[in-house]
Amino acid sequence: MASASIRYNEENLAHGSVRAKQEDRKTQDDPQARFKRIRRQLVFESVSRCLLLAVLYVWIGYRMGPALAPYRAEFIELLIALAVVPGLLFKLWHWRLARRAIADLSSSGQLSYSKLSQMVAASKIVKADMRESGVYIDVLHGQIGDCMAESEREVMQVIEQIGLLNEQAVEKRQHIGRSVKSSQALSENIKKRVEANQEVMAALTFQLECQMTQMDTNFARIDSLARDIGELTPLIKVITSIAQQTSLLALNAEIEASRAGSAGRGFGVVALEVRKLSVLATKAAADISAGISAACGRVDEETAAAKASLDQYKSNAGMQNLIAGVDQMQHEFAHNCEVLIEVILDVDANYAESIQRLSEALGHIQFQDVMRQRLEHVQGALAQMRGHLQILADKGCNPEWDGRLEQTFKTLLDAHLSQYRMASQTVTHLAASGQTASHGESRPAIELF
Amino acid sequence: MAMTVLVVDDSPTMVMSLKTTLAMSGFQVETAGNGQQALERLKSGLKPNLILTDINMPVMGGMELIKNVRALPGLRFVPILTLTTESETSKREEGKRAGATGWLVKPVSGNDLIAVIRKVLPGA
Repeated sequence: MASASIRYNEENLAHGSVRAKQEDRKTQDDPQARFKRIRRQLVFESVSRCLLLAVLYVWIGYRMGPALAPYRAEFIELLIALAVVPGLLFKLWHWRLARRAIADLSSSGQLSYSKLSQMVAASKIVKADMRESGVYIDVLHGQIGDCMAESEREVMQVIEQIGLLNEQAVEKRQHIGRSVKSSQALSENIKKRVEANQEVMAALTFQLECQMTQMDTNFARIDSLARDIGELTPLIKVITSIAQQTSLLALNAEIEASRAGSAGRGFGVVALEVRKLSVLATKAAADISAGISAACGRVDEETAAAKASLDQYKSNAGMQNLIAGVDQMQHEFAHNCEVLIEVILDVDANYAESIQRLSEALGHIQFQDVMRQRLEHVQGALAQMRGHLQILADKGCNPEWDGRLEQTFKTLLDAHLSQYRMASQTVTHLAASGQTASHGESRPAIELF
Repeated sequence: MAMTVLVVDDSPTMVMSLKTTLAMSGFQVETAGNGQQALERLKSGLKPNLILTDINMPVMGGMELIKNVRALPGLRFVPILTLTTESETSKREEGKRAGATGWLVKPVSGNDLIAVIRKVLPGA
């Protein structure tokens, strides 16, 4: 009933006169008196308008006279239609409002005991349920609080992990820095060694070529010597032939000495000795010939083997290939060192970028604090709602309540607009409540004074 | 020698994230949970190169801390940056009058934060 009185009062205020509003303020603590006053006012206004119309009718009849008598009825009807009908319709609507209010007010007196009991029971249920809303809101409040606490714990874990990642990245970068320095030193050292080794290689190659030339020369000399020794063999045959002829002569001399008798005895001894010498000479010549042949054979065999080895070595160019291979390997090693340094520097750049991204990520984690503050505000609003619902529950069933509220949901909601810290809170509030956001001064997120 | 930043915030996540961000850029970081704690540390001899403070904190807020710091003889000219969710112009003007060097509205990316600090502290 109280809510009905408030509603009709508001409608009356919206459509009534200024005087009615003033009087309404004076009597707003008594809804029944207020509606009695409205009824009186409406009756008075209706009667006064009827009287005014009657006066107007008489006056027009008097002023128009007989000249316009044929049109008087139509003229008066037109006046009534233009001036009176809208007013009557408006009054009729006022009457309907007043009748409804009066009917509501009088209905309580017409309700049966059972209906009244039913209404009281229903209001008690509503009151009890509104009281239960406190627990409901407390649960929501607690859920939000737990969510905030949990998100805070998890965010702390994330930050801790980011911190560890950062420490590892910094450590890796320091290690990389040391590695780069070592690699650069190694690369420089290798370059110097390669240059030094190139000189050694050149000297070695030259030495090798000299040795091969010398070996060729030596082989040629040995060949020549072997040929010279081989040429001694015919001389041995000559010596053998001479020794055989000498032996034959000595034999003849011995025979002639025996024929001479005692006079030739001494000559015979000489001839015998000469023949022995020639035999020995023949044997020595044969031995020398065999020795020369054997030596020439061995020289030929060794020379052939050495030549074959030298030829094979020359054809393979093994040593040169080895030197060239070592040289190429050194160059490749130096090049790979430079590539390795580039790779290490690239890895270092990646680590630096990772650290930058971690820093960015840490900035984004500030959303948790922003969300926490927004949710804390929501928690405060829920607490306000809880208190307000308790007040409504207390007053709703109190017959002594005058129907006035210090705060309504609307005033509570409007009060939030001045409590927000973030522009996003205001934007959400206005959007959700169907209001238009005013475009105030927009200042940058980062401002140096 | 590393420059010291005093971080003042009642949110543990903010303190930890700011501490990590600043440490990653080579700053030495000191922390306080509200304006009162920060003021006590400053009075006990802490001489930071920069103070980075929140505005809405229990016990003592950032605005009061700025006013108190400006009243301390040795810290009259130390740069003070606020890092807060407050974006209202009136609050900014109040901070400016109190003696803040700059106003940063959360969330601020790590790189932007470091860039602002390096702008305020050229040698950092």
